[in-house]
This record gives sequence, C-alpha cells and structure tokens, in this order.
Amino acid sequence: MLIQLLINGLVKGALIALAGLAFALYYNTTRIFHIAFAGLYTLACFFFFSFFHHFQQQWLPAFLLTAIAIMLAGALLEITVYQPLSKRQSSLNVILIASIGMMIVIINLIAMLYGNEVKVVVSGIADSFEIGNVIITFPQLWQFVISILAIIATLVFLKLTRWGKNIRAIRDDQSLAMAMGINIWKTRITLLATSAFLAALPAILVSVDVGLDPYVGMPVLLSAVVALIIGGVGRFEGPVLGGFLLGILQALVVWKFSTRWVEAITFGVLIVFLVCRPQGILGRQKREV
Amino acid sequence: MNYFLHIAVMINIYIILTLGLNLLVGYSNLLSISHAAFYGIGAYLSVLALVVLKLPLTLAIAIAVIGTAILAYVIGKVSIRLKGDYFVLVTLGFQMIVFAILYNWVSVTRGPYGIPGIPAPKLLGLFEISGINGFLILSSILVTMIIIIYYRIIHSPFGRILKGIRDDEIGVLALGRDVATFKTHAFVIGSAIAAVSGFLFATYVRYIDPTSFTLDESIFIVSAVLIGGSGTIKGSVAGAVFVVVLPEALRFLGMPDSIAANMRQVIYGLLLVILMMFRPKGIWGDYEIQ
Repeated sequence: MLIQLLINGLVKGALIALAGLAFALYYNTTRIFHIAFAGLYTLACFFFFSFFHHFQQQWLPAFLLTAIAIMLAGALLEITVYQPLSKRQSSLNVILIASIGMMIVIINLIAMLYGNEVKVVVSGIADSFEIGNVIITFPQLWQFVISILAIIATLVFLKLTRWGKNIRAIRDDQSLAMAMGINIWKTRITLLATSAFLAALPAILVSVDVGLDPYVGMPVLLSAVVALIIGGVGRFEGPVLGGFLLGILQALVVWKFSTRWVEAITFGVLIVFLVCRPQGILGRQKREV
Repeated sequence: MNYFLHIAVMINIYIILTLGLNLLVGYSNLLSISHAAFYGIGAYLSVLALVVLKLPLTLAIAIAVIGTAILAYVIGKVSIRLKGDYFVLVTLGFQMIVFAILYNWVSVTRGPYGIPGIPAPKLLGLFEISGINGFLILSSILVTMIIIIYYRIIHSPFGRILKGIRDDEIGVLALGRDVATFKTHAFVIGSAIAAVSGFLFATYVRYIDPTSFTLDESIFIVSAVLIGGSGTIKGSVAGAVFVVVLPEALRFLGMPDSIAANMRQVIYGLLLVILMMFRPKGIWGDYEIQ
C-alpha cells in the first residue's frame, strides 16, 4: 500500500514540480506573484478540450493548437496587464491584485462559456500495467515522463541558452540587466508565454486523466506555490525539488492519516517553512530592505 | 420591502467585514487573505456560545471576538515580521488550514453538513432578536458602534503611528517605535472585528457551513475593500454597499441566473484590474497599497 501511494505521490510530485517551475519561471524573474497562473492553467485545459473535440480526438493537432493558443494568451496577459503596471512602477501588491482580478475574469468567462460542471475529455477507465503489487496507469506514466522531460529541458534551457542567461540576469538585478542592453520587456513576453506553455503541459495531462472544470486552476496554483516555498525561492531547481517533496509528503499523509488532512498539513508545512526558513531548502538567505 | 431590509442587513454585515480588513490593508499595509477565516471562526464561536454555553447576546459576541482575537494574535505574532509576499502567503496558509479544519473536523464542527437551527440571540437574556426588523436594528447598532470605535482608533496616537508605518515603515522604526507590535495589534483588532460579522451572519441566517468562509470569500472581501477605497471609513462602507448591491442590480437587469454569478465575478475581476491600473486607491480611498 505504501509503495503504491509513494508511486502515486511521485507522479503527482512530478506534475507539481512542473507547475511550480512554470510559476517560478515568472515569479523568480519578475517578483510578480502571478496568481493569474491559475487562470492560464484552466484556459489551457479548456483550449485542449475544445480543440480535441474539434479535431475528432486527435491529440497532436489539439496539443499544438493549445500550445500556440496558451502562449498567445500568456503574451497577451503580459502586454495588457503586467507590463503597463510594471512600467508605471506599481508596487508588487498592486500587480498581485490585478493578477487576482485577471484570474477571476478568465475563470468566470470560461465558466460562462462552458458551464460549471466537470467535463470529460476521454471517458472510460484508463489502461494500466502492473509491476509487482503496484498498478500504474498509462496516463500516470505519460504524466511522469513528460513532466520529467519538460523539467529537464527547461532547466537545461535556462542554463545553456542566451535566453536563459537573460532570464537569470533579470532575476538577479533588473536595472543592471537593462543597463547591459537586455530588452527586459521583450524577454518578459516570451517568459510569460513559456511559463504558460509549461503550465499547459500538466493541465492537458491531468484533464485527459480526470477531466476538467473551471475551478481546477486554484488548487494547482496553491500546490505550485507551496512547492516553490519549500524548495526554495530564487533558484529554478527549487520548485522542482519542492514539488517532488510535496508529492511524497502528501502520499505519506494519506498513508498515515487520511486524504482529508492532506490540505491542512500541506499548508501547515508551508507556514512552518515561511516562519522558520522562508528561503526554502535550496534558497539563499537574502537580506531584504 | 423585506427584500430591501434583507439587503440592508447584508450590507451591514459586510461593512463590518470591510472595516476590519481596511484596518489591515488600508491603515497598516498588511495584505491579508485570511479575513474570511476569522469571519468563520467568529461565526462558529458564536454558535458555540449560543448553543453549547447558552449565553446571552453580549456575552456570545464577546466570546466570538475574544476567541478570534487570540487566534489572530498567535498568527500575527508569528508572521508580522515577514515581508510582502511571505506575509500574504502565511495568511493564505492560515485561511486554507482554517477551512480544512472547519470542513474536516466533523465531530466538532459538523463539517460540510453545517450547523442548522442556530437560536436567536437573547439581549440581556430576555429580548429575543429575530426576524428581519430585529436584525436590521441589531446590525445597524453594531455597525454604528464599530464605526465609532474605528473612528476613535484611527484618530488616536495608535492610529497615527499605524498610518506612519503604512507610509514609511523605516522612518517610524528610526523614530524608535516598535513597528512589529503596532502591526500585530492592528492585525488582532482588524481580525477580531470580523468575528462580529461572523456572529451576525450566524444568528441572521441561522445556518452556517464552512463553504461561506473560503479563500474565495477572503478574496471577495479584499476586493470590496479595494474597490470602495482603502484607507478611509467611507471607502469601506462604499465597498461593502457595492459588492452587496451589484448582484441584486444585475438580477433586475434581467441576467439569467445561470450566468449571473459568473457575470458578477467577471465584473469584480475587471473592476479590480482597471482600478489597479488607473486608481489603485479605490473609489473613495486615500491610500494606494504598497
């Protein structure tokens, strides 16, 4: 039983790690608490749902169109909301509130268009295979593999490409990056688009598995944030570590107590970290003025 | 006629909520998304006082407020020194934990089944307050009392220091004031005020369940404060009136019920974005959140 729960926890952990990385990509760099992430996640689920049905259950065109659509949505959000606010030097809390506003708008527009009930992409019980006593479904396998690949690809991109270097420069010192000639506004657009794309991956993988409704975004955002804080703010590997730890922690809570206390304990751990070690496991302690 | 009286009672309940949160957001620069948690704790404690302890009205309110204040003190003490985002995250964590406990500790709170049949509170143990007129009077009296207390607080030396902290925390620190303690006190007072709303809500609706006290509700109260205007009493009143009246107004515009709730949210969301872009102070506010 424990092994099964841990395997489930690892798969969930991979998804949370990817979502956390997607969130951290934007948050670490711009310090903007991008709550509209929940909205983009939900948008990705519904884009895929629509395209999948439009293309008669072929996943490849549905996926490609969803990817393009969500990246455009991310870019649009950056251009219409975050950049104007940043350019007029609004405080971070003001941008946070605007982000909450956008999340509310996106989620409720989706609910108005599609209805509030749960939708199904693929019906029926998923195929699975067994290793010893442990059952692994194929959706789980896809979720794990694709998440790991996406995480590795993103981390490699951040380390090795010029774009990644620009991101890290902006993260470290925005004004200096600007002075060095990096166009932070253009970079931020591609950044949010990439973050949206990375968020779309777990969105699609999970909605194909368990269905979707307009309110799936918030829990994912919350998990991503907890993963970010536990793993470490400021370093992109942080949320990845945090995500896996969180997945395993949640599996252990289910094993020891029951599913009803998973959320309470998750946020309890969050508060403990915030109070005792706000920089997370991998973060560097910073002196803030 | 009863319809308008009902709206008046709800407005009163929300005015108390927005006033409490405004003390945090508008006067102390503490963006808290846990206000609904304190609202809920106040409601559940009121039920405890009325049903289990069978206390009269004033004592029940006192229990609710003091219990909530103690909890707020614990949370505040621990988190007030955290900067910006981290403080918001602690309040977020607290909100989620409170909801999880209210929802899952079924043996104590009856979880999702909620608590029905909350008795009408008895003033001085004799007069029962029930019915729409009774509650209109009770809620209006409570609102007036709270506004008066609020006014005295913000125009006192304590209030001035809070405003100083909000405008220039380091300056106030440099003057030798214990900023953390002031903020903690503000956090406790603001959150305890929410407990009064919890009491009113529980005794007016006479049924409570955890779904009234979710993160969404916290965000809703924050929206009310920001739309109306942070940093002023009339801003809080305006915000409360706005968020209570808007859905009713939409109903009269003939919006079908199926999308009314979502449409209302879209309007709030858009308003928040537009306000943050062009008037972060809110309609009648005098403080732009930092």
